[in-house]
Amino acid sequence: MTESSTIEAPDVRFDATRVAIEDDATPLVRLIGRTLTRASGQGLPAGDLTAGLVGTVAIRSHDTPQAATVTFGAGVVEVTSGVFVEPDATLVVDLHARFALTEEPAGDADLAARGQRALRPPLPHWRDAAVRFWEITRDIAGIPDVLIVEAAGPDGPEPGRFGEGTTTYLVAGPADLLAGVFTGADDFLASLDAGVQVQGTLSQLSVMTAASWKVRFDV
Amino acid sequence: MSELAQARGAVRLEATNHEGSLLGKNVSPQKFASGKNTGFAFADILFAIDLNNEIVLGDAFPEWRGNLYDIQMIPDMSTLVEWKPGLDSVIGDYWLKDGTPVPICPRNLVRKLVAGLADNGYAATVAVEIEATLFEESVQEARARGYRDLTPLGGSTGATYHLARSKDWVDYMEAVVERLDSVGIAWEAWTDEAAPGQTELNLAPTDPVGLGDSWARTRQVMREVAFERGHTVSFMAKPTAGFGQGAHINLSLQSDGVNRFFAEDGPSELMRHAVGGLLATMEGNTSIALPQITSYRRLVDLTGPPTTVGWGVNNKTAAVRAITGHPKYSRLEYRLPGADVNPYLALAGVLAGVLAGIERKIEPPEQVTDMAWCLPESAGVRRVPDTMSKAGAALDADPLLREYLGDEFVDFWVASRRWEWMEFHTKGGDPFAELSAWESQRYFEFP
Repeated sequence: MTESSTIEAPDVRFDATRVAIEDDATPLVRLIGRTLTRASGQGLPAGDLTAGLVGTVAIRSHDTPQAATVTFGAGVVEVTSGVFVEPDATLVVDLHARFALTEEPAGDADLAARGQRALRPPLPHWRDAAVRFWEITRDIAGIPDVLIVEAAGPDGPEPGRFGEGTTTYLVAGPADLLAGVFTGADDFLASLDAGVQVQGTLSQLSVMTAASWKVRFDV
Repeated sequence: MSELAQARGAVRLEATNHEGSLLGKNVSPQKFASGKNTGFAFADILFAIDLNNEIVLGDAFPEWRGNLYDIQMIPDMSTLVEWKPGLDSVIGDYWLKDGTPVPICPRNLVRKLVAGLADNGYAATVAVEIEATLFEESVQEARARGYRDLTPLGGSTGATYHLARSKDWVDYMEAVVERLDSVGIAWEAWTDEAAPGQTELNLAPTDPVGLGDSWARTRQVMREVAFERGHTVSFMAKPTAGFGQGAHINLSLQSDGVNRFFAEDGPSELMRHAVGGLLATMEGNTSIALPQITSYRRLVDLTGPPTTVGWGVNNKTAAVRAITGHPKYSRLEYRLPGADVNPYLALAGVLAGVLAGIERKIEPPEQVTDMAWCLPESAGVRRVPDTMSKAGAALDADPLLREYLGDEFVDFWVASRRWEWMEFHTKGGDPFAELSAWESQRYFEFP
């Protein structure tokens, strides 16, 4: 097992929950590991969303064969691909809708509800997410120097500019969706069908895809 | 390969992109005459489309790629043949407008490595054993069935070297070699292989570029003959859940007309260094030799493909088999590639390993004299990377392959395999199935 800590710094509290994913993990395992790492971190208004969870939860995609097993233990969460044990609870989710349930959970209702809540931690403001996104993706070859954001917030346009330099990339769209893209909760390419618009070259789109995979899957 | 001084009919321009099946277009005689020296424009996107026609994303484009720029395919007139009455065919390479080769053009990569060997005073002779599986159904029927539950041509009993295959299977293979003869592709042997419907067709030894051309065209011939006869053929690494299929490459090095792999007492020093280079680059080369998701499903001990990074004299369980002691036939058999490999890239990967080995005088590890499958860790023999992601990481980190194949190719290839891995996992592939429907749909007909 390897730590899923590239994206989110591990919680340094003495009793911090450690999230571990298996070696050579699938995208789903990586996505769950990254999401639960964020859910277990400090700074969330609701605290560690994985705290106190004990049991095994199967997570299945509603429209693909993707599946994973999450084992919640004392201070440790392990994520592995596939479901090869009898889980305490099963969640069937839409992976393009931030783990939204597509059918009633099976098994332990409380574990299922709390597990699903951990998979949907509150998103930061899009501006904070953009800052972090741009920091994390600096080492990707060909990434533009400057990210320009035109967010459509509840009270009107919210412009933003991140980074310095000569090459720019513009991303526009609903504020909540941009927060999802910049944190990895939402898929960048899928977001282009959901209201996000971009301005840049095809090559930059390719690089931005790599950047979005970095924050979504840690690859 | 037979040569024509000039095209007589319509001409099919042919070349592979990274995936390995022939791409191109048919042009009129007039159009061909006007462009055969300056080249024919193709969109650079041909190096960025996957087998589902999606644009491959995830890497920074080099300068020659942009918002669908054009690159030039310049025919190699030495490959011009009459394909069938009224249609000639010619293979080409991709070039940039400044006259330099497209760095990720598979055929040009082979040329570059052949030149590297020549700089060292050697010429390579290579041959390939092509495995494919034939099915009774037409391709239309196969498509309708999602390429599943097809009927092996020639009976459903697996056999090897069996001469009693039924007439339908024999007729198909006889038609194939007749077509190969007609287009000037030299073959040496064909036989049935282990799986029901499976064949192995051996192309004759020749130079690397020539073999790549013949290999790619042989696949095309086998497909066309199958279409004509209402059957299907697949070069998928595992067309059914049961059996896989490979593409072993045989190689020797000559200078002054002498096989320099030969020595009276076993592998020559040159052969040892070639083995050293092939093993030093094997993990990285796995990404090229096993290009698709299904490729890795073949890597099962005791079933034929190598699973460990080792070599041995006359050891067919090892990844590299050395055939020694004969002045003419001393050679190396590189047993890693799957049948779904891009012929040119497979050859480029092998030549890169060989060139690295002889230029750096890389000594190989001790040969494996035991069975090379099922070895315990204590044997000290590494395992071949068994997933696309592991192999891609190995290639990304391989300094030798980066040097000999070029950073641009390695970065491109690693990114394209990451795209493929992502598509498989997130768009319907099932890693826990023996063979998922997603794979059949994507890989059965191409590459």
